[in-house]
Amino acid sequence: MTVRSDILTQLGTNLATHTNVKLSQELPWETGDNPLYLQNMKTVYVDEEQINVEQLYRTLDQSNVNSTVTTVNAYLSVDAKNQLSDINTVVANILLARNVISSTTDSASDYETDTEGDVITYTFEYNFTTI
Amino acid sequence: MAVINVTNGTQAILTIGANAVKATADTQATPGNAGGLVVPFVQDITVNATPGTVRYSTLDSTSSSAFTTVNENGLSLNLLVDETVMFGAGSNVNLAVQDGLFGVSKNKQEISFSVSFTGTGTTGDIFLSGRGFIGGLAPTASIDGAVWLSPVEIIVNGELTKTVES
Repeated sequence: MTVRSDILTQLGTNLATHTNVKLSQELPWETGDNPLYLQNMKTVYVDEEQINVEQLYRTLDQSNVNSTVTTVNAYLSVDAKNQLSDINTVVANILLARNVISSTTDSASDYETDTEGDVITYTFEYNFTTI
Repeated sequence: MAVINVTNGTQAILTIGANAVKATADTQATPGNAGGLVVPFVQDITVNATPGTVRYSTLDSTSSSAFTTVNENGLSLNLLVDETVMFGAGSNVNLAVQDGLFGVSKNKQEISFSVSFTGTGTTGDIFLSGRGFIGGLAPTASIDGAVWLSPVEIIVNGELTKTVES
């Protein structure tokens, strides 16, 4: 199981009661210069995970201990003029999906918004640090 | 002249032997000996070889004088805790392997040790050796640190000996 697939599974659980929001298993690839989350509004897309490995401890015998930071982004676009009535809960539940990843020294999730025209896009970022 | 580069992972190696027969322990602690406990995950190691001194003042001098007493030698290091090395691997002729660092410390078992400066197995390689007692274990863990870390001291019993491999 990858971090992305674990988050997808958890998002499915967390968003089950939000029938106005869908969850896609696809990557947010682009078609016609537009990513899928702009074409399919009210659908959450989870991007491929990015991994950054750094040395946490260096030892004289070169048996170094590494720290791995895994970053996953998710996207959701909705109509800015007619926001979902439960958007706050949806956002909170998307953020809470981070709790599915265990054995981490640090896990975090946040989001930022970008409004273009009448579309507001929520970009979520999950960060997990493991040893 | 050249500095000793320790970045390739084969220098600065601490090897420990422990046995009721001291000569056996000394042999175990020789660098490269298959029966020795090579301590892994060492972050830093310091050899302290210090002559004891006593200072005294006299009425006819504006500065103090000193004379030497006995040498006080020791080793200190910090390591990432390896479960087997810390707590032992079971029955072994090398008590350091059998009981681990914690065991030989608790049992006050005298150990033999060597510290390779330039690696081992090559003519001209230098190591310091001696006997002593393990102390100063203070394993600590935190969620930020993520792994167990511990300082280790070897209180040297007697003199350090320099050996050049031939």
